[in-house]
Amino acid sequence: MAAWSIVTSFAGGTLGREDLIVSGRRGLYATALMIVLASIGLWTALLTHDFSLKFVASGTSSNMPKVYIFTSFWGGQAGSLLFWSLILALYSVAAVWSAKNTARELAPWAAGTLSAVLLFFIAVTCFKANPFERLAFVPADGRGMNPQLQNPGMAIHPPNLYLGYVATTVPFAFAIAALVTRKLDASWLVLVRRWSIISWFFLTIGIVLGMWWAYVELGWSGYWAWDPVENSSFLPWLTGTAFLHSIMIQEKRGMLRKWNVVLVVVTFLLSIFGTFITRSGIIESVHSFAQSPVGSWFAAFFLLSTGATIYLVATRLKDLEAKAELESMVSREAAFLYNNLVLVGIAFSVLWGTIFPILSEWVRGSKITVGPPFFNTVNIPLGLLLLALTGVGPLIAWRKASTSNLKRQFAAPVFLGLFAGSALIALGMRNGHAIVAYVLAAFVAGTIMQEFYKGIGARRSIHGESLPVAAIRLVARNRRRYGGYIVHAGIVILFAAFAGLAFKKDHDIALKAGQAAELVDPLGHRWRFVSQGVSTSETLNRFVTAVGLEVFRDGERVGIMASEKRQHFDSNKQPQFEPSTEVAIKSSAKMDLYIVLAGVDGETANLLISFNPLVIWVWIGGVVMALGGLIVMWPQAERRRAPGGYVATLAPARELASVS
Amino acid sequence: MQRRDFVTSTVLAGAALVSSSVHAQQAPGAGAQVSNLGPMDQAAAKTVRRAPKPGATKSLSDEDRDALERQIRCQCGCTLDVYICRTTDFSCQVSPAMHRDIISLVEGGYSGQEIIDAFVDTYGERALMAPTREGFNLAAYVLPFAAIGAGAVGLIWFLRGMQRRAVPATSRTTPSSPSATDDEMARLQDAIRRDD
Repeated sequence: MAAWSIVTSFAGGTLGREDLIVSGRRGLYATALMIVLASIGLWTALLTHDFSLKFVASGTSSNMPKVYIFTSFWGGQAGSLLFWSLILALYSVAAVWSAKNTARELAPWAAGTLSAVLLFFIAVTCFKANPFERLAFVPADGRGMNPQLQNPGMAIHPPNLYLGYVATTVPFAFAIAALVTRKLDASWLVLVRRWSIISWFFLTIGIVLGMWWAYVELGWSGYWAWDPVENSSFLPWLTGTAFLHSIMIQEKRGMLRKWNVVLVVVTFLLSIFGTFITRSGIIESVHSFAQSPVGSWFAAFFLLSTGATIYLVATRLKDLEAKAELESMVSREAAFLYNNLVLVGIAFSVLWGTIFPILSEWVRGSKITVGPPFFNTVNIPLGLLLLALTGVGPLIAWRKASTSNLKRQFAAPVFLGLFAGSALIALGMRNGHAIVAYVLAAFVAGTIMQEFYKGIGARRSIHGESLPVAAIRLVARNRRRYGGYIVHAGIVILFAAFAGLAFKKDHDIALKAGQAAELVDPLGHRWRFVSQGVSTSETLNRFVTAVGLEVFRDGERVGIMASEKRQHFDSNKQPQFEPSTEVAIKSSAKMDLYIVLAGVDGETANLLISFNPLVIWVWIGGVVMALGGLIVMWPQAERRRAPGGYVATLAPARELASVS
Repeated sequence: MQRRDFVTSTVLAGAALVSSSVHAQQAPGAGAQVSNLGPMDQAAAKTVRRAPKPGATKSLSDEDRDALERQIRCQCGCTLDVYICRTTDFSCQVSPAMHRDIISLVEGGYSGQEIIDAFVDTYGERALMAPTREGFNLAAYVLPFAAIGAGAVGLIWFLRGMQRRAVPATSRTTPSSPSATDDEMARLQDAIRRDD
C-alpha cells in the first residue's frame, strides 16, 4: 500500500491528475491504518505474554510491571522500528491531510516522499527485524527487560526522541516536494517551520530525559558521556536549531533559500545517520542496541536519500536564488548566520569526533577511542561562542544596526556579564571556562530581561496594563519571539549548570558498618557519612543488595541515604542480566549529593560519593526550553489586520526601540 | 573479596531464590559476557607493572590519580574510562585490575605521563580516552576549528557579496535623512495602538 501511494502520488503530481493524487493520499492513510493495527497487535501480544513471539520472549517476562511491558514495545530493536513506523505513519497522515488544501502542488510529492520513507521502515521491519517472528517453541516465560530500562525516564525518553527524529521526515518531504516543483513559497515555509519546531521540541525533551535517565540510573555520576548514540540525537537537534533561526531570515528577507533547504535535508539525513550508528554497531557504544543486521539497510537508505537530494538541490540551484540583499554585516540576519555557522560547526565537530575512530582504523589500521576528553576540548570553546551569539542576535536590529543602537542595546547586558564575572572572581572562582561561561550566561540573561522589560514597559505605557497582564499578553501576542527568548533562558540555565561540573568532586571510599567518612564539598560544607551496613532483600523481580548511610552536613543530621545493586530474575528466579545500580541522590538548588554502591567486599561497602554542583538546573533548564518551545509552536490564530495605509522610513535603532 | 566474588556471593546468598545456572546470553565465549552496557571481555586485563623507582614515593594524590584514570579506557568493552567503570559497573573485573596497576605505578614513583605511556605500551592507543595530539590524530582536533574558520571566511565573503549588491539598491531607495519625524513616530504609535 505504501508502494502504491508512492507511485500514484508521484504520478499524480507529475501529470496533475487529481484522481491519482487522491488515490495516493488514501493509500497513505490505509498504510497508516495497517501500521496502527500491527502496533495494536504487538501491544496485545506483549500484554498477554504471548511468548511464542521472539520479541515478546526476549524483552519481557510475566513478572514485570505492566507499565514496562507496555513500554517494552520500543525497548527492543524490532519493536522500536515498528514504533518508528507508527509515528511516521501518524505524522504523515497529519502532514498530508493538513497540506492537501493549503499546499496543493507540494502535497502529492510530499505524500510520495513520506510513503517512500515509510516503505523503507516497513521493509526493514518485515525483512530484517520482524517483531512478529515466532520461536520454534513456546517458552514458559520470557527473559525480561534489561533492568536499566525499567525506569520512568527510559519509558518516556525513547518515544520523545523518536517523535523528534521522525518529525524531521515531514520537513524533508516538503523540501523534496519544493525542490521537485521548484516552489519555495510561503506555504512551504509555514509547513516546514511548523514541523521543524515539533521535531525540535520533542528532540529537546528526549535528549534531556535521556540525560536524566543516565544520571539517575546508570550511576556514572554524570548525564552526558558523548557516547555515539547520544551524539546521534544531538546532531539533528543542532542542525534543526540552526534551521529554526535561518528560516526567520527567509521569512523576513527572502534570503537563504538554498541554505534552508540544505539544513532541512541535512537534519533528516542526520537522523537517519544517527539511527544507522545506533543500530549498526559500526561504532562502539554503551547502548546495547548497537549490534544488529539492519545497519546495512540504513546505510543504503542514507546513501540513496543523500544522492537523491544532492541531485535535486544541484539541478535547482537557480530556482533557489535569494531575492534580497544584505545591507550590513552588523544586522540580525548576519548575526543569525554567525549563529548558524557555529551550530553547524558544532554539529560537524560532534559528527567528526563520532566517526573519527572509523577513519583512524581505515587510515592507520589502529583502533582508537574518541571519548569525553576530546569532545570537551573541542566543543567547550564552540559552546561558549554559541552562548555569546545567543545573546548577540536579539540585540541587533534587522537590516542594519547603528552604532548608537548597538551601544544602547548592549550596555546593560554587557555590564551584567562583567559584573557577574568580577563578582565570581572576587568570591574566589578561578576556573577559566566556568568564569567565561557565567559571564556569558549573565550577558545573555541580561539580553532576555532587557527584551522583556522593554516589551512589558511598552505595553504598560500604551495599554495601561498591570505588570502580570502586560507580561502574559506580551508573550501571548508574540509567541514566536518571546517563546524563543524563553528557550534562550533555558539555554542560559543549562550552560550555567554545565559550568557547575567544573567544581564537581568525586570520592571513592570504603566503609564497614559503623565506620564513618568525612568529606568536604565544593562549597566548603563538611559532610559525615556513617555506614549502617549492607543488607539484602527480595522484591517483585529482583534481589537487592543495599547500603545505608546516615548523612550529616556541618554536624546536622540530613537523614539516611541508601544505594542499591539489583539482581533481576525471571519468574523461575533465574538471574537475568548483570546487577544494576540504584543511585541515592539528594538534590538541592546548589548541589546534588550522589551516592553509588560500587561493590561489596565482605562487610565493606565500596562507594562512590560525588558532589555535583547545579545539576538540578540541567533539568530545570530543559523544562524551561520545552516550555519556550511549546509557546513557540502553540497555534496562534492570524488576526486580520486592517491595512495601515502608512509607511514610514525609520532609522533602525533609536526610534524603533522607543516604540517597541 | 573482589567484585566477581561479590556477584557470586550475592547469587549464593539468594540461593533459595536463584539457581546457579548461568543465563545463556551471558556466556558467548571464554572470558566474554554481556553486561547491561553491552559485550564485556573479562579477560582483557593485562599486567602493566614497572619496578618502583629508587626511593620512590607516591607520585600523585588520590584526586590526581582519579583524574588520570579518567584518561585511561577500561578494556572490558564498556567504552567507559577506568575510574567511571570501576566505581559504577559492578561486574567488570578489568577496571579494578587496571586500577591496581595504576596504584602500583603511582606508588612506584611514576608520573602521570609515564603511567599513560606504560598503558599505551601494553594496550596500544586504545588505552586512551582521547586520541593523542600527533600525526593523523591531529586532524581530529584541528579539522573542526579549520572547518569553522573556513566557514567563517566563506560566510564573510558571501555576506560582503550580498552587501555589495545591496548598496546601489539602498542608495536608490533610502532618503537622505532616514530618521522619522516626531509626527511620523506619533502616527506610527497610534497605528500600533489601534492594531493591538
